[in-house]
Parts: sequence; C-alpha cells; structure tokens
Amino acid sequence: MTHLDGVFRREWGPAVAALARWSGDLDIAEDAVQEAFTEALRVWPRDGVPDRPGAWIVTVARNRALDRFRRESARADKEFASVTELDGARMEGRDVHPVRDDELRMMFTCAHPALDSASRLALTLRLISGLTVPEIARALLQSDAAVGQRITRAKHKIRSANIPLRVPPADLLPERTPHVLGCIYSVFTEGYWSTAGPSAIRDELCDEGVRLAGELCALMPDSRDAQALTALVLLHDSRRSTRVDAGGGLVPLDEQDRSLWDRGRIARGLDRLRQAEGATGGYLPQAVIAAAHATASSWAETDWTLICLAYDRLLTITGSPVAQANRALAIGFRDGFEAGLSALDEIADDPRLARSSVVPTIRADLLRRSGRLSEAAQWYRISLAHKGSAPAREFVLRRLAECEATARG
Amino acid sequence: MHYFALLLTAEANTSPDPDTLTAEMAAYQAFHTKAASAIRAGDALTSSAAGVRITGGPDAPTITDGPFAEVAEVACGYYVFEADNLDDALELARGIPAAKHGAVEVWPTVMWNQPEQPLDGDNWIALLLEPADNVVTPGSPEWEVGIAAHNEFGAAAGDHIKGGAALHPPATATTVRVRDGQATLTDGPFVEGAEVANGFYLLSAADQDEAVKIAAMIPASAVEVRQLAGVSGL
Repeated sequence: MTHLDGVFRREWGPAVAALARWSGDLDIAEDAVQEAFTEALRVWPRDGVPDRPGAWIVTVARNRALDRFRRESARADKEFASVTELDGARMEGRDVHPVRDDELRMMFTCAHPALDSASRLALTLRLISGLTVPEIARALLQSDAAVGQRITRAKHKIRSANIPLRVPPADLLPERTPHVLGCIYSVFTEGYWSTAGPSAIRDELCDEGVRLAGELCALMPDSRDAQALTALVLLHDSRRSTRVDAGGGLVPLDEQDRSLWDRGRIARGLDRLRQAEGATGGYLPQAVIAAAHATASSWAETDWTLICLAYDRLLTITGSPVAQANRALAIGFRDGFEAGLSALDEIADDPRLARSSVVPTIRADLLRRSGRLSEAAQWYRISLAHKGSAPAREFVLRRLAECEATARG
Repeated sequence: MHYFALLLTAEANTSPDPDTLTAEMAAYQAFHTKAASAIRAGDALTSSAAGVRITGGPDAPTITDGPFAEVAEVACGYYVFEADNLDDALELARGIPAAKHGAVEVWPTVMWNQPEQPLDGDNWIALLLEPADNVVTPGSPEWEVGIAAHNEFGAAAGDHIKGGAALHPPATATTVRVRDGQATLTDGPFVEGAEVANGFYLLSAADQDEAVKIAAMIPASAVEVRQLAGVSGL
C-alpha cells in the first residue's frame, strides 16, 4: 500500500484545491476528497491505479459531493447549487489534472493574514499537505483536540467572514505573498528547528516545506522571494542529517561532518539562489548565509566577510535583534572575538531580547573561543536561566561542563 | 455581504484642540467620499461616560449609568459596509481614520437590517453583549429561539428600531490597526474578554430615558447603550 501513500500525498492538495474552487467551501472539499480516497483504497488494489489518479480522485470526489448535496438538499443551499451547475460543466471537459491555479489559490487562502499564524500553519498542513489532524498535532506538539478545533475554527471563519478563495488581485499581492512564504517557511522550520517529537514527523515537515517552496516557485515563477525561500530551505536541509547526533544531541555547524551534507540539495539551493537575485525580502540574505556555510570546505575556510555583509542586509530589511546578535558572532570570526563581543554589546540591552537566551549564549561562545573559560562558564549559566528546548539546554550544559573542566584542569 | 466595523480608541480626558478636531473631521469626510459606495450606515458615538449599561435581561433589567471602569480603548464609532468579501471589508476598515491611532474590529453580520433613510433626529446604538462562552452559532436551534425573542422585541419596539444586525461569533472577527502606514491584522476581536459583542440595534427615541427603556427590552445578557453623535449624515 506504500505506493498508494505516495499517490495520495501527491494528489491530496491539488484535489482539495480543485474541489474547493468548484464548491466554494473548504469543508465540502475536504470531506469529498477524503471520501474519494477511501473509495480509491477500496477500488485501486482490485482494479489497479488509474492512468490519471488525480483526475479520478477529483471526479469521484465531485460525485460524492453532489450525492451528499442531493441528500441534504433540505439545506436549500442555492448558492452551492448554482456554483455546482456552473463549474460542473466546465470541469467535465477538463483534462488530466486540476489547474494549478487552484493550488495557489489555496495557499493564499490558508495563509490569509486575518487568520492567526498557528491556524495558517495547521490549515496548510491539513488542506494542502494532507497531513491528518493527529499527524499535525504530533508535529506541532499539541493535542489532537487543540489542532482539530483550530482547523475547524479557521474554516468557519473563512466561510462566515467570507475570506475569498483566490489569488489576491495585483495590488494586494506584494503584501500577501510574504504571508504565503512565511507559512511555508514555518512548515519547514517546525520540522527543522523543533528537536522534540518523533524524528519521522520532523523529516516529513522538512520535506513538505521544501516541496511547498518548490511548488510555489512553479506557481509564481516571477517571485524572486519564492526562489530565495526555496534556496534557503534547500541549503538548510542539506545539513539535516548531520545536525543531530545519534543520541539526539545538537551538533553545532563547526563540528558537523561536511562530507555527509547533501550535495544534491546544495546544488539545487545554489541554483535557486542565482534565480533569487533581486529578491527584496529577508530570505535572500539568509540564503546567502546558508550558502556561504554550505560551500565552505571547512569551518576555517568560511567566508565571514560575505556572511557579515548578508547580516547587514538582513538587518536593514527586518531589523531583527536576533539577526543582530548572530551578526556579532560572525563579526567575531571575521575581525576577532573582541570585536565580536563589542558588536554584541550594541544589542545586549535590547528589551526585545530580555527573555531570550540568545545574547548570553553567543557571549559565552565568543568568550569560550577566545579562551576566557571561567567567564564563558558564567554566561552559559546565565543562558540556562532562560527557557529553551531540551536539546538546546543539553547542548549548553555540555559546553558549560567543558569550560568548567578545562578551567579547572 | 455586510460587515460591521466597530471603531475603538483611547478616550481623551480633555477635548482635543480645535485644529486636531478639524483635521480629524476632514479625514472622516475624505473617508466617506472615498468609501461612499460601500458605506451603508455609520456614525460617531458620544462619550462613553454618558453611556448606559443594562444587565439582567428584559425580565429583570438593572441599569447602570456611565462612566464605567477604566478601559484603555472604548467604542467611539461604527460603520456598516457592504463588501464582496473580507479582503474588501478590511481594505475599507484600514481607511478609517480611527485605525491609525486606535483599532477597528471587522465583524461579518447576519441579517443586516438597514435604516430606510439616513438617520436624523436623536438615535442610539444598543450593543448586545454575551459572555464569551454563551455565543450562539447562527442556524443552530438556540439561534432560532433567540430569533423568536428578537421578533417579540421587534414587535414591542416598533418604529423605534431603525436598523441592526446580528454578528457571527467572535472567532470570525478581525482587528485592523494602521501604524506608520502599515496595516496589521489580528485574528479575533480587539479584546477577547469575558464579554463579546453579539449584535446591535440602531434605535430612535425622544431622549436617553426612552432609549434605555426600549433597550432594556432587548433579549441579551447585557446591552450597552450609546447615543449616536449624528455627525456623519449617514
């Protein structure tokens, strides 16, 4: 049945998107495609997978939706009826595969800014990626009930407040596209940075983030920012297998086995990066930084000048205090750790970082690298006073122990 | 479809200087001109200190005169927009001057009953409030019961009712703020407090006492009654 899983994963998003446009309703679309998949599970093992599984799914789903509508016609949903007649005719003649515009429409609807960002993520994973509610709950470390409720609430808002199922008009695109990019990036980062949860789910989210980013590039070929996002996720992802050791501990970039980095992903990422030239958002400088690491033959050979320039650019775009703190580390490698510490001082008192461990951790790292071990240990301890993921805390504890041992020895 | 926009701002303790007032009025005039084809109703509200709050329902109404406990932002005006979809409604909302210093809540309405002509004379808005966990979903059996109660109110209040609408549950609302020319959207109402808006009536009355008397018959857990300033000409 595994080969069917692949077909299902591929066909789910496009089928839901096609049914959503046809019926104008996400619930009808989701239920109908679900029923069609159940039917496929029954019929395909017996009769074989049809030549065009996507078209088969859409046709069966549409018929199921119509059946259900006839059964429930007491609801007298005239709007639905008119849509059905109008688009049903158009769809009959449709060949091969639902138009890809439907998928783009769904991406913009699921990432609508009138929905909160957690809902956008859950909705995207459900309606576009086809993850089940329990899968999403496991991936996001939430309860099934919470995820189910979030998705139901979001779909209810889309229907009641009439959030349009469409690609926004040209004048709205510049402000809406970043929401779609952000939603896809969060699919990836939930998998990549979250070190909790079963690793299979994390892998799935990373793969899905990469797939959706590539898909968006195909759907919006003129979007340089989509290219930059795709470059970024591919370049990060090339290191996925080396960033956690066998025991689940974090492996920092300078200790990763570069021979295990995925060369294919790096090549594809660099290719996307070339096509991203002219992108205006924050993904391009982040992708440049990721590319500088991916192409360096060793930690010592890393092009810190380029990385510092990319951080400068990132700062002018986002003004992110976390980016500025990370820039201080890059300056430390470019100009010496003292220079890095001075650069860190510029951001150390930013109130936006007051609750974050990022400044003490970077300060400790700079001190450790410059041999000031007891000071480093002190800052690692301060960093532990902040909240952090379990693997991140374990990593800091390991460093702290190293510093204390060497300082004593 | 119709959207209810509730304008929220920090209420100043002192009245603004004449220049600020003139500029603000001009900004609203410009907004009315620009959004004329979509605005179905709207007005400023008089000070919340002059407002009245009714609790206990029609059977045992308790009336409390303002001012009420200090809250950072209070309702200062409303609009009803006709728009094809939420994008268009949000586009209108971000053009409202109050969005630049306060916030605008955009609610999808159910059954908007539009005033037959521009509201003249003295009018009030009665905001229907319910505990957040007591909001009824349109179309449910509880909703139908509510409709019957509102029909009774309609029969009793007669011509005093100039318009009104029920609102979809708070999860369908969107809050719009504009700062430095950038619009930010938030899912849900401005404050997700113990009480949420559930609908509103536009009422005409000879004076506030009569308005409160009428509003006290509204079947709702709580009703906030505020006089319309009558400045919009809508």
